[in-house]
Amino acid sequence: MNNLSELHLDALAEVFSIGAGRAALSLSEIVGDEVRISVPSVQLINAEDINPATLSLNCGQFGAVNQHFSGPFNAEAMLLFTEEQALKIVSDMMGSQMSLEELAEFEHEAMCELGNIILNACLSAMADILGFTLESSLPHYAVASANEILSRLRKDNSQPYVMVLHIDLAIEKRHTAGNLVFLLSSASLTNLVSHVDQFLNKLL
Amino acid sequence: MNDPHVTSSAKLNRGNGNNTEKYAPAQSGVKHFDTEDIANAVNIGLCVVNAAGKVLLWNDWISKHSGIKETDALNQPLEQVFSEQISPAFLSALKNSLTHKLPVVLSTALHRTPLPLYHEFELGIQQPRMYQSISMTPLRSQHNEPCCLIQVTDSSTSIKREKILRSHSEILKKEATTDGLTDICNRRFFDAHYEIAVADAKRQKYPLAIFMVDIDFFKPYNDHYGHLAGDAVIKQVANTLKLQLSRATDIVARYGGEEFVLVMPHLAQDIAEKFAEKLRAAVFNLAIPHIKSPSFHQITISIGVCSGIPEKNDNLLNKADTALYQAKQKGRNQCVSISLCETTEYLEQ
Repeated sequence: MNNLSELHLDALAEVFSIGAGRAALSLSEIVGDEVRISVPSVQLINAEDINPATLSLNCGQFGAVNQHFSGPFNAEAMLLFTEEQALKIVSDMMGSQMSLEELAEFEHEAMCELGNIILNACLSAMADILGFTLESSLPHYAVASANEILSRLRKDNSQPYVMVLHIDLAIEKRHTAGNLVFLLSSASLTNLVSHVDQFLNKLL
Repeated sequence: MNDPHVTSSAKLNRGNGNNTEKYAPAQSGVKHFDTEDIANAVNIGLCVVNAAGKVLLWNDWISKHSGIKETDALNQPLEQVFSEQISPAFLSALKNSLTHKLPVVLSTALHRTPLPLYHEFELGIQQPRMYQSISMTPLRSQHNEPCCLIQVTDSSTSIKREKILRSHSEILKKEATTDGLTDICNRRFFDAHYEIAVADAKRQKYPLAIFMVDIDFFKPYNDHYGHLAGDAVIKQVANTLKLQLSRATDIVARYGGEEFVLVMPHLAQDIAEKFAEKLRAAVFNLAIPHIKSPSFHQITISIGVCSGIPEKNDNLLNKADTALYQAKQKGRNQCVSISLCETTEYLEQ
């Protein structure tokens, strides 16, 4: 658990910030306005220690975009926003061309795309910088309650580590906070650490 | 057809070649179908481009909806295959997918019609483009060349289906909240609406007015004129009450047999009293004959009103009902108003 030091976490935060920058650029192209994404912090938590506060899962329904990544390490990646925020983001992205009523039918698909952009950007930045290749499944969107999400995170014994990235997303003056969660097996975590080590050694 | 790429569609494998076993048929070495036949039979658009952007696969669906033959597309740069422009978002998504070897999706919501695809081609008629959902998946050819499989689905059908479902659900929702006889709101709708209205008035501290309305001597009317005539009176009274409402926030509902209830936010006691009198007069002016009504010989209504800013345990509905009871006691065809701050005991003196 402690084999990911502050230095490792800093390096990963740096890597994900680059990914966030790429995602912001892609989103700006779609929205036609400035989009800013930042990753203020990265945390590594034992899955069993995870609680609603760590993920700011207060109440209500959440929109989750999932992608399964595989390569030198495997990770189940999940991007979480409250459903209300997800709807607002999507409606901002679509501009005023559609009414909120019409929105519901497109919400899932649009959130899939948004999640896909952010997840791909973060993972591809990591792959580029740490020097490996990842494959991924297509994104999947689901709406779930905080309890459903937590029990899913806790129940998977094969992936006892949870890496949490807090994400700030600003589209057209609207600020939204979300979380990017990676579920990792111990082997995957070890592989990730060794790749970060190799990267840090090259720098030193 | 000397270029190996052109015929490579049947040899394309998912992933990076070494996990071919995963996708091979159960009896190893025996292929039951030609991948190209499958690609042409499926009801979605399939297209494979290589890292240089050249088309390696162009299935029948894409041919049909783009109006571009496979032979004209194969081995051409995708951007030049279409005579119309491809959306920049599509091109950057494709670039991303090819560079990072990660799958990408383009939703209908954010990109209605990225590719110039049409349902049908009619000469001389400019058709609107087909709504599309697109996904791009990285793929390696048997020559280990990184490629990208583009899948296009027609989302117009799902949009249409959603619209039909939504209109059905709107009809059902209306039926569930409307009274079948009078076409005004039903008791179920009132119960839900009343709770919300009271909570809102409490929170925002504004007066809410509740009117309980009852048709006088309705049972004798029914007995004398018959149930059909009784129903007709209920309908006429409901319609008359409804016509007095002009604000979108006000509702009238059928509370029970010949009882109605009105909920009107932002209405203080004095205005509520005047409005109740207006309701009473409107029904009186219908001048529906009722020979079994002892004092009036026509259809009349009694009204109980309660208005005020609700606090903790205040029950506007009970007080309006008490007021209605008093209106009946006092001889019917009249309105009685109770302010929310008056206590029931005081009134009963």
